[in-house]
Parts: sequence; structure tokens; C-alpha cells
Amino acid sequence: MFQRLRFVPARLLQAVPVIFGVTLLVFFMAHLLPGDPAVAILGEHATAARVTELRKQLGLDQPIWTQYFLFLGRLLQGDLGTSLTYQQPVSGLVLGAIPVTLSLLFFAVVLCLVISIPLAGIAATAPGKGRDLGVRIYTLLGQGMPQFWVGIMLILLFAVNLRIFPVGGFGDTPLDHIYYLALPALTMAIAMSPTIIRSLRSSTINVLGSEYVATARSKGAGGMPLFRGHVLRNAAIPTVSILGVNLGYLVGGSLVIEKVFALPGLGSLMINAIFTRDFPTIQAVALFVALFVVIVGILTDVVYTLLDPRVDLSSKVAA
Amino acid sequence: MSAAALVLAGCSAGGTSSSTAAKGGDLVIARPADAVSMNNTTTFDNPSIFTFEQIMEPLFTVSDDGQKVKPWLATGYTVSDDKLTYTIKLRPGVKFSSGAPLTADDVKFSIDADTATADTGWGYINAAIDTVSVVDKETVAIKLKYAWAPLIADLSLFSNAIVPANYGGKTADEFYQAPVGTGPFTWGEWKKGQSLKLVKNPNYWQKGKPSLDSVTWNVVPDANTRKLQLQGGQIDIDDTPDWSSFASLKSSPGIVAHAFPSTQLDYVAFNQQRAPFDDVHIRRAIAYSIDRQALVKAVLFGNGTAANSLLSPGTPFYDKNAKGPTYDPAKAKSELAQSSKPSGFTTSLLIRSGDANQASVAQILQSELKKLGITMEIKQLDPTANKQARLKSDFDMTLSAWTMDIPDPDEWTTFAVDPDGGAKSAFTFYNNPEVIALNKQAQQEIDATKRQDLYDKLQELTGQDAFLAYTYYSPYAYATTDKIKGFTVTPLGNYHVEDITKSK
Repeated sequence: MFQRLRFVPARLLQAVPVIFGVTLLVFFMAHLLPGDPAVAILGEHATAARVTELRKQLGLDQPIWTQYFLFLGRLLQGDLGTSLTYQQPVSGLVLGAIPVTLSLLFFAVVLCLVISIPLAGIAATAPGKGRDLGVRIYTLLGQGMPQFWVGIMLILLFAVNLRIFPVGGFGDTPLDHIYYLALPALTMAIAMSPTIIRSLRSSTINVLGSEYVATARSKGAGGMPLFRGHVLRNAAIPTVSILGVNLGYLVGGSLVIEKVFALPGLGSLMINAIFTRDFPTIQAVALFVALFVVIVGILTDVVYTLLDPRVDLSSKVAA
Repeated sequence: MSAAALVLAGCSAGGTSSSTAAKGGDLVIARPADAVSMNNTTTFDNPSIFTFEQIMEPLFTVSDDGQKVKPWLATGYTVSDDKLTYTIKLRPGVKFSSGAPLTADDVKFSIDADTATADTGWGYINAAIDTVSVVDKETVAIKLKYAWAPLIADLSLFSNAIVPANYGGKTADEFYQAPVGTGPFTWGEWKKGQSLKLVKNPNYWQKGKPSLDSVTWNVVPDANTRKLQLQGGQIDIDDTPDWSSFASLKSSPGIVAHAFPSTQLDYVAFNQQRAPFDDVHIRRAIAYSIDRQALVKAVLFGNGTAANSLLSPGTPFYDKNAKGPTYDPAKAKSELAQSSKPSGFTTSLLIRSGDANQASVAQILQSELKKLGITMEIKQLDPTANKQARLKSDFDMTLSAWTMDIPDPDEWTTFAVDPDGGAKSAFTFYNNPEVIALNKQAQQEIDATKRQDLYDKLQELTGQDAFLAYTYYSPYAYATTDKIKGFTVTPLGNYHVEDITKSK
């Protein structure tokens, strides 16, 4: 089995120029924005003279290529730089935000699968019938409702009226975190599930009509054992790809959820850094997001390979 | 024996009656943005300021009505006959939270440290100070370069708050990671982007205060979420609820909504470097066509008043009878007729994107100016790009606002009317020599009555010149649960957490 995973190291190496390209792009895009940290720091009482002086102090008056190579040099030594807004090491800010976003995403994916797999199964085993229609109406609603609205509705219902969950925030202990992440994760799960359900539903219908399932049925398999043993694993293959692609977007898309639920994650960190033109933080977050997307891509292919023995991504096409 | 018992009984009786007042508790405030730095000499954002003000205290502080300065770490001062030397007496018995006593050395160090940041920080506020000297352990003398009426108000600014001399042996950077002061709270913990917690200073010089055990500011960017957190009992104070939900908060059970009088002035600025805004008739025409009451109703949902002057009601020397332009469409038309563009023209208004209040004002202004024949395009830029454009005076018209940091008009009037005040007259290039002279005179006039006359004239002239079109004065919005008592915000925007009590 591990033979088929031979592609992983090569993919990791390929990731390096990609990530390098991302840092270059983000650096220059951020610096193209009008305004800079000096303007943001000095606020309403800024005067042109003070801005110029602060720019000098922050090292922003150097030519842009110089600034880029200084940044790259520090990065290669593992130094993410100092936040111009907070005057603190960027690594501290980013490492504080990463667990928040990752645990939110993990929780959201788990909830999404908990919602999607049964619903897809219910729909796929009775296509065209009442329960299939019900599931498809759910997917329509899930895709149509904006995330921040769903989030606020969930807060109103579960936090304010029923007082089961708190309204926003992240909590202090790991157990607290799970409690505080329940509603935001659920909001994201509801937003993600329509795509997953649709994909899983149609591939399940395909699989259910396949010859090997007919064979299994003729051997007496049925219901849950059939679903788990033969159907789900095969039906999941295209869905895994879709989930992987979605996860990549989610890291940035979690921003809306983070704002509504006051979660101090990467999305909030990034958007605040952009508003205050905190270049080192913008670059560091972009770097981590690029890294995350690349790793998720590789992991998706690994899962894909493990699920489907016919797939061998390391095989070289004969010249 | 019985006499001693009686005395003890008397003591405990006194004890019981005071323990019925709320004591203890952890205060939780939710606000839209995080603090940025605890360095009181170089930091300009309100979240940071309102936080470190609870740790480090100045010699004087603003009264609750914003009109006066009252003694705080100082007990009083005397002024020499030539008005150039102020001798300030310190309050005896005040200690830093570390246990070290407050001395004149700490005061000299702190004020000098602030002055040293003049290039990029608040130090410019001490520009009139020549030297600060230690007279004795509890007395400081400040010698001025020239007569300077705002001095005591300047000393009440948080940038002149007193820190231990030489930062207690640390570097400035190290010190401000966990600052030490004489204030009611000491450094707790800061999870950036999430929450900042301060804990009670048991050695605070105001006996019996603070009542609270700790205060925590949570970062909750969305106004709806803050409101729901307040209604759900998760927080005690909601910092800046939307005006649109203010009325519903007011009528929510268990919630108290406050609109504290502020020193905030909102205005439209005209760039006099761009035609036709160098023409006073154009500026007046626009100023007369603004229906301020409609703005207050639409944007502030009735929580505010029309602005009539360069100064706001919470600022000392505000003239409530100042005749700034009011809503007068007839006068607007007649001013336009006398101007260089009687049939109207096309121009643009620069606003901040993502700011709902500014967007509303802009749209109302746009329709009002259309009636005059002026086509006004609305340009939106993100907050930092917007600031950058204003710094470079890269706008035709723009919306902006000012809140005072000290209980003295000078900080604002110099910024606004003096092209050499650092900001090219609030980036408008307004240049009226008579007004500039008045402002300079008022800075040096110590006599309060004479100073009032000078500022009255200044308010009258700036109203006539209409270099800014004042829109409204808006209060500070806060909502608290009804368990919170003693929470009040000064017109400068700051509050004293040591006065807040939280009942169970």
C-alpha cells in the first residue's frame, strides 16, 4: 500500500516553488494597497510629518525589493518578522490563531460528514421518493442561506433563547473550546453539506446500480453492512476530492464565521492585518494558508489513493 | 472589657452596612476592536487607551462633565507671576502596584519620556514645556517656553501618565509588555485578538476601590453578536451598539442603554486647494443645504443634535449661541448665486467603505446637493486608504470626525485652523490669518473669561468661513446589564473602572 504513496515526497518538493510564488504575489499585492501601517497606527490625529517619521522607524521607506529580500532572508531563518501593528513577533500571533481555525475546520468537517453521510444515504436509497425530495430541499436551503444569517439565527435560537450554547467567543480550556465551537462549526457544516450531500448522493446512486453491489446483494448482503462495506467506500471517492477542494477555500471563507462568532482565528487575523497594512502578518498568514492548501491537497490525494486501490498517482506515464 | 466589646461591636456594625454594597465580581466588556499596544506615549487607538488608563494614571484628570481638570495624582498647583513656572504638589501616600512610592523623580521621568516621542507619538502635546525639575520628593516644577493655557489639560492626557522612573530597570519595550502604574488595575493577561484581562490592584490609593476583582475586554467585531451576548448574559457591557438597535436595547428587560455626551464633532471637509471650494460662497451654499435634523434621525436614530460650531458641547469654551450654518435652502440658493458656479458643478465625496453611518450621510448629502444643481459622486476607500488620501489632501469633499483627548479646545483648534498646526488645517488648507491669530492668542491667554471671548470669536468666524460644514454631535453609545452600576463615560470617551460595581 505504501508503494502507492510514493508520490508524496515529490509533491512536497513541488510545493516549495508554489509557496514561494504565493509569498511574492502577496507581498507585492499588499504593498500596492494605498496607505501603510504608519497611517493606520497614527489614526485620526496623524500629520504628514509624523507619518513620514514613523515610516522611517518601521523600515518602510526602503525600496520595495530591499524590503522583500529582507523578508525572505528572515523567513529562511525561520523568523516571521515583527508585527508592525502590535510590535510583537508575528509567529506568536499566527501560532495563536492557527489552532482556532484548524479546530473550527476540523469540527466543521466532522459535523458536515455527520449530517451529510446519513442524508445522502437516505436520499440515494430512495431516489425520486419523498425523503429524497426532503433532502434535496435541505440542500437548496443550505446553499441559499447566507452563512452569517444562519450563524446569527443559530445564536438566537440556541444561545439566547435556549441558553444551551454561548454567544461567540472561544473559551479558555480545550473542553471549553469544543463547547464554544459548536455553533460556528454547525454553521459551517450547514453551508458545506449541500455540495457534499449532492455529490455523495449521486455517486451512491451510481454505486448502488453497479454490478458488484448487485453481486453482493445476491450473496445476501443488505442494509447497513452493505452500505458500509461496499457502497460508502466507493461512493466516497469523488466526494473526497470535493471535500478537499472545499477545505482549501474554507480557511479563507471561515472569516465571516470568525467575525460573527468572535473567534480569534486566521481569518480575523488576516483581515485586521490587511486593514492596518500589517505587512509581516499579512505575509505570514498567506504563507500558512498556502501551506495548508498544499497539504490538504496532498492529503486528499493520499486518502483517495487509500480508498481506491485502482488509483496509483505515482505511476509514471510511459513516454 | 465591655468598652472594648462595644467598640468592636461598633466596628462590625459599620462593617455590615458597607458590605451590603456590591463588592467583587469580574467585569466583561465586549468591544469591536482589540487594543494594539500599552505604550501610552505612542499609541493612538481608543481600545488601547481605555485599557492602559486603568493601569497608569496622570497628575490631573478630566471632570465627569468634561469641562474642568481636577487633581488626581497631583493635589494642586501654583503658577508663577510670569506665568511660566507651574509648581505641582503630588498626592502623598500613593504607591505603584509594585509597592514602590510615587515620587517626583517618577513624574519627571514620565513627562520627559512622553516629550521625547514628539516626532511620532503624543510628545508634541508637551511642546510648550522647557524643563521638568524635581523640587523635592513630592513637588515638581514645570518651566514653560511661553505662556501656555492648556498646560494642566495637557498633563491630564494619558500620554503624560506616571510610570516608574527608568521603567523600573526595564527597557521601554519590556516595560510595556506588562506595564506597572498607580492605577486601580494591574496587568493580567492578553490573548491578542481575543481578550485582555486586568486584575485588581489591592494597593490602590483610593481606599475601597476598585470594587471589581478584574476587568476583561473581549474582542467581538460584530455588533449583532455583542448585542446577543449582552442579552444572553455573557457580557456585562456592550461597547458601541448600533444606533439602529439602540431603542430596542433600551426597552429590553435587564438592559440599560446609555448615550453619554461626547466631544465628537462630525463634519464635511472641503479641500480649498481644489476649485471651487476656495470660494466661501460655495462652501456656505453646501453648509446651508444640509438638513442636520434629518441626518440625526436617519443615521443616529434620533440620538444626537445638530452641530452649530467648530467646538462640541462637551468641550470647554463651547459657545452654544454660535451661529454656524443651519438648514436653510433659501440661503443656500442665494449663496450659490453669488458664487463662481451659480448653475452648479460636479464633485466627489470621499468616505470610508464599510462605514454604514458615513454611507447614509453621503447618500442624504448627495440628494440634498442635487437640488442645488451640484452633482456629487460618492467615492469609497477602505479605512487606511481613506486616511492616506486625506493625509495627502487627495479629495474634493470628505466626511470626518474629531473627538477631544484633553479638556481643552486647543488640541482641535490648532489642528483645524492653523496650516502650521501639523495637518494643514485638517487637510483643508484653510488659511484665515485673523482666525490663526485668534487661536494663537487663545493658547496663551490664562484668564478664563478672556479666553472664552477669544474662542467665541473664533467659533463665529469659522462658522462664517464654513471651511468645514458641521453635521452633528453624537453621543457615545453603551449598553450594560442592570447589575452594573457606577459606569459613566466622560465626554473624552474614557471611563473609570474603579467606580464600577457589579451586583450578583
